[in-house]
Amino acid sequence: MRLIRFLILFPFFLFPHADDMYLLKGGNVFLPNVGFVKKDILVDEGLIISIEDEIDSSVSENVINSDGKYITPGLIVFSALGLIEIGALPETIDIRSETYNAGFDPSDAFNPFSQAIRLNRSKGVTSTVNIPSASGYFAGLLSYTKINNGLKQKKQGPLGLLTSYGQSYDDSRAANLMFIEDLFSYVRNGYDSTKADQIQFFYGTDNEYRFTKRDLEAIQKVINKEMPLVVRVNKATDILKVLEMAKSENINLVLWEANEGHMVAEEISKAEVPVIMDPLNNIPGSFDSLNATYENVSRLHSAGVKLAFYYDQSSGAHNAYLATQSAGNAVALGVSYNEALASVTSNPAEIFDIKNVGVIAIGYDADLAIWDNDPLELMTQVETVFIDGSKQDLSNRYDELTERYTKEEELPNSYRSR
Amino acid sequence: MIKKLIVLLTLAVLYGCGSDAPSIFKSEIEGSAKNFEDDIHGTYASTYTPLKSENVVIRNATIFDGNGNKFLDFDVHFSDGKIKNLGVDLEVEGAREIDATGKYVTPGIVDNHSHMGVYPAPGVRTSSDGNEATNPVTAEVWAEHSVWSQDPQYKLALAGGVTTFHVLPGSANLFGGRGVTLKNVSANTVPDMKFPDAPHSLKMACGENPKRVYRSRGPSTRMGNVAGYRKAWIGAENHKKRLERDPEYRDIKNETLVGVLDGKILVHNHCYRADEMATMINISQEFGYKVSTFHHGVEAYKIADLLADEGICAALWADWWGFKHEAYDMTIANIAIVDQARGGAGCAIVHSDSASGIQRLNQEAAKALAAGRRAGFEISEARAMTWLTKNPAKSLGILDKTGTLDLGKDADLVIWSGNPFSVYTKAEQVYIDGALTFDKASNFMPHTDFDIGIKEWEEK
Repeated sequence: MRLIRFLILFPFFLFPHADDMYLLKGGNVFLPNVGFVKKDILVDEGLIISIEDEIDSSVSENVINSDGKYITPGLIVFSALGLIEIGALPETIDIRSETYNAGFDPSDAFNPFSQAIRLNRSKGVTSTVNIPSASGYFAGLLSYTKINNGLKQKKQGPLGLLTSYGQSYDDSRAANLMFIEDLFSYVRNGYDSTKADQIQFFYGTDNEYRFTKRDLEAIQKVINKEMPLVVRVNKATDILKVLEMAKSENINLVLWEANEGHMVAEEISKAEVPVIMDPLNNIPGSFDSLNATYENVSRLHSAGVKLAFYYDQSSGAHNAYLATQSAGNAVALGVSYNEALASVTSNPAEIFDIKNVGVIAIGYDADLAIWDNDPLELMTQVETVFIDGSKQDLSNRYDELTERYTKEEELPNSYRSR
Repeated sequence: MIKKLIVLLTLAVLYGCGSDAPSIFKSEIEGSAKNFEDDIHGTYASTYTPLKSENVVIRNATIFDGNGNKFLDFDVHFSDGKIKNLGVDLEVEGAREIDATGKYVTPGIVDNHSHMGVYPAPGVRTSSDGNEATNPVTAEVWAEHSVWSQDPQYKLALAGGVTTFHVLPGSANLFGGRGVTLKNVSANTVPDMKFPDAPHSLKMACGENPKRVYRSRGPSTRMGNVAGYRKAWIGAENHKKRLERDPEYRDIKNETLVGVLDGKILVHNHCYRADEMATMINISQEFGYKVSTFHHGVEAYKIADLLADEGICAALWADWWGFKHEAYDMTIANIAIVDQARGGAGCAIVHSDSASGIQRLNQEAAKALAAGRRAGFEISEARAMTWLTKNPAKSLGILDKTGTLDLGKDADLVIWSGNPFSVYTKAEQVYIDGALTFDKASNFMPHTDFDIGIKEWEEK
């Protein structure tokens, strides 16, 4: 009956492209607000078009038996994936700019053939929120990129404007706050965008920030509430100041890192401000994080703060997929399982209003990962990944190197075909 | 004097990564100025005094003994600071009983690569004491003289089950200086933390770091690095010859290097690339010393057989890579491939090099184990536990005292809430020398002076 219903709803199904249509049968499917439920999923033309208890195998030539497997939305990570190949080689890094700051969007430099992308895709990542690192007052614009095989990737953005607030070698944090207020006021009061291609904005005695027209336009978008200001901030009192500033400037805010967020969890929750964080950041690594603790994540969670997780413990972009390890630890630290898994799938999409991804629901992009066990467990392996309904090649250099050095063969490695 | 050196050299040949702490440390040697007995037992000796041991029997646990064995529904008894017995339904009188049904017991984790204390938290310039980056050869510095006894990071590692850790100088230099092995106890002086009788170590570093840091003065190339090592070893040989004529002559740098040539100081060599590790082995052969352990070894899997043949351990991350060119050829199966070399003769170690990673070394091992199995190796969880306990203890020369639950060893052990290879498992209790040092349920743990007055919130 159900099959007939969706055939009526989607008559084009009668003529499916065999290559495009997949039936994922019998998996434990992670559904929004529900958790894992045994369901069949039908994917066509890049979208999830049906989720039912039972879908007849005859509808698709490509049936993927997912009995006992776990199916989640593909992971959405916060990273410099595709924008950094080797950390110590600046010539392989594209997240920096000295020319632009607020208006800097690194996503045009995205390299889909990065080895880090291939590895992360094989670990269930289907898209990344690009993290910029310009050298001015603002680090730049966050944007969203899928990490499918091939030359072209779907993008969305800009999603937000990244800056940081807290300890600095130069100015007092008070001066930094004054600066952002003055800058916003300057933009709000209508700078003449036709007049100058570039303005210099001075404050203090010897500090100078330079903003191009492109930079000022990005700030304008924050003021217009077209995107949030994303602030990397740790100290509890600084978090309160940033919340206050966002309120008085009437802008949308996202907090980043927030190691002492647990001390002002109620205030963050009341302001309905989401937090992007790594639950594993428990070291008092700076004087802004003296009260860092494993309890941060559970306290923010219990206060009702919307959370998204990233992995901040090693190798940066290269191991972005380990957000699942952070999420698994969050469960051990008191966060509910479903919320922890949502924090690496649907919550990033919700927080940044990324359209049509992050959940398994009808009409959404078929970005999916099939796992052989609990996706948050350390020893679980990814078996299949779809991005926009296309089954991804999960081969990567690291598996190939492993194979090269574990084969028992007579000739040296270099003289064998892989 | 000459006779003494011959004895030492003979012992040096016997001594290697695979052996326990060498008995030569306990022998009486008449003092010359460069007497290594002084280093271990003299002025700078450990003054570690264990906390008062309890008499405890842990019942019905799943035990990984650190030797590669797994025992189900087993009891472990310890008292007087030592492991007394393992078995089923042990009859023990007067011991505190702990029901560990559903829980796991393992030896305390040993991290053989840490910079806690020398790069303490908070990470500010004024206490960044881990690297004397003023000369490519600083064999004369000792990490223990930088260690800050009040680093708040120790207790975080303790909550992750780490009972012993080895603090190394950084990797800017060809020879970074001596490392120090510490028991993870809170104390007000560094000697009070020092692992009793643990051999001294020497940090060496290959590759990108030294040639980058010293590029303006040299070395600026990998061949410059190698010339630098060889020059220093030749200098140490000359120093030894001079000592034959002039036993009172002192040279603080060469005292460390001669300690290596005499087999008393263990070489811990930061080295990523396979070809460079092979070169370092050549250098060790030229001068007749032994590399205890290569650290970081992202490419160790490429020469896993060579490492096994040479009896050299490899201390590795599960999955760090990409931060440097020499860390590009990563495989998460690295640890497993090293472990399984020559039919399981390899010495693989999971190390942290990170105050964060040290808190979850069990999780790092789990990822490495999964990758090893995926690569086709049949490796048990009990075997993987040796990467965290036995092998690092071996690499540090303290396997006769810790690293396994063998009878008579220090009662350094961890009770885990469940399988330590699960992300959901936490260390519940940690014992060092039979004394409870961390108890999750009652939030009992040491606090350094740093913590006093810092915390502005109430723990739940």
